[in-house]
Amino acid sequence: MQSLAAEGALLGRDSAAGKTTAIYTRVHSEALAKAASKAAASLQSATTEPGLEPKLRRVASLAGEVSDDLKQLGHASRNEQLRLAKELSKAAEELG
Amino acid sequence: MSLKNVLAVALGILSAIGGFVDIGDLVFNTQAGATFGYQLLWVVVVGVVGIIVYSEMCGRVAAVAKRPVFDLVRERAGFGAGLGTLIAAAIVNLMTCAAEVGGVAICIQLLSGLPYRLLIVLAVVGLVVVSWVLPFEWIERVFGYLGLCLLVFAVAAIKLHPDWGMVAHGFVPGSHTGGSLSVYLYFVVGLLGAAMTPYEVYFYSSGAVEDGWGLKELGLNKVTAMIGFLSFSLMIVAGALFLPQSIDPQFLGTPALAAAHVFGKVGLLLALVGILFAVGGAAIETSFSGAYNTAQFFGWRWGKKERPAAASRFTLAWVVIFALAALVVLTGYDPVKLTEYSVIFSVVALPLTYLPILLVANDRTYMGSKTNGRLANVLGVAYFILIIAIALAAIPLMLITNGGQG
Repeated sequence: MQSLAAEGALLGRDSAAGKTTAIYTRVHSEALAKAASKAAASLQSATTEPGLEPKLRRVASLAGEVSDDLKQLGHASRNEQLRLAKELSKAAEELG
Repeated sequence: MSLKNVLAVALGILSAIGGFVDIGDLVFNTQAGATFGYQLLWVVVVGVVGIIVYSEMCGRVAAVAKRPVFDLVRERAGFGAGLGTLIAAAIVNLMTCAAEVGGVAICIQLLSGLPYRLLIVLAVVGLVVVSWVLPFEWIERVFGYLGLCLLVFAVAAIKLHPDWGMVAHGFVPGSHTGGSLSVYLYFVVGLLGAAMTPYEVYFYSSGAVEDGWGLKELGLNKVTAMIGFLSFSLMIVAGALFLPQSIDPQFLGTPALAAAHVFGKVGLLLALVGILFAVGGAAIETSFSGAYNTAQFFGWRWGKKERPAAASRFTLAWVVIFALAALVVLTGYDPVKLTEYSVIFSVVALPLTYLPILLVANDRTYMGSKTNGRLANVLGVAYFILIIAIALAAIPLMLITNGGQG
């Protein structure tokens, strides 16, 4: 999940800077979003020992946010892409 | 060497540079770079030298004995062992071909935005038409020269300003940092498997027989085999860009992002076109490799230069391999995962491929005075021991590391 968020952040920054084609950004962000969505679903249904439960819930929530951001990335304007890249970068740091 | 031969060498080197990389190299080199930085560069050197040693041997066997590798596998190993080798090679070939076909479809999707499943069908139809219509010389030129677009990664590796001291250090085997020993060893096995994949040897030797290689071509054989530096570039790019950002490249589109990061849209397009043609060329090689093996084992008439009607079972075989490959990826198997499995399983089958080559290259009945020299034998035996070791370790390491995930 950390890797997906970090790759999404890199894609968002490069796309906002006009370094990628719109088609590439859309197709690649969809692939990232699909993988993130699958991982988020697994995390949301996962269980752990009570002491670790808050941490798991936080990771699952972050995973959901990463998945949503990646879904938006391919269709976002450049400013929005920059905002999404920052969010994804922050999520990657927290997940790391 | 005549001017014609010099030109042939130059063109051969160019197309070999573009044609050297396949999906296995792309996946394992970028993943290894993103996980261990430059620490596994030495493995690429070992793998490239290994494929040079054995390509030279099987090219020489083809030129002198006028027999391709699989023909000799059955003769030397007998029917039972030969059939086992054929089945193992066929499974690995099909998995590799499926991964390459999926890779072609992904590249076209990243370029066009069209639906993936539709592109799998179009990719296979396109590859069958190209293989049917074009002679091998043209297939090699088109796919090899357009595969040269991958050189964008070599320039990107320089432009990313890696720590060259660390890069140089990566060419020396030693202790590692950044991951567990089992993951490190998994990538060692995967990188060697990607570099020494059996289909290349089968295709190379059958192609040499088809081209009617003789003693004159032996010099050319040695030169055209000595290629492989693109793999270094992929690992350096991944080590310089992906590792610091904790990106684990699990998609075929990820390496292209590195080229876009450095060169913008031009870099992205060059990378995607390069990957498309490198992977497309490899798809053709794997399908023909499977058809060559089957035809040579059962004694069918074979050869791309034959009219399809004259070598009908051979022709049907490579068309069927393409069709089965398309079916495999249409069922939803991820080409990158498929690549990881195909490379690891090909490692298990490596001894079955390389032992007959080593034996025949030393057999005076076939080779006359052109048997292996001392250097070829020392290297050949050393590599065969290495092949046995990685073949034994491949599956356990894949299971222990969950396919390199740790």
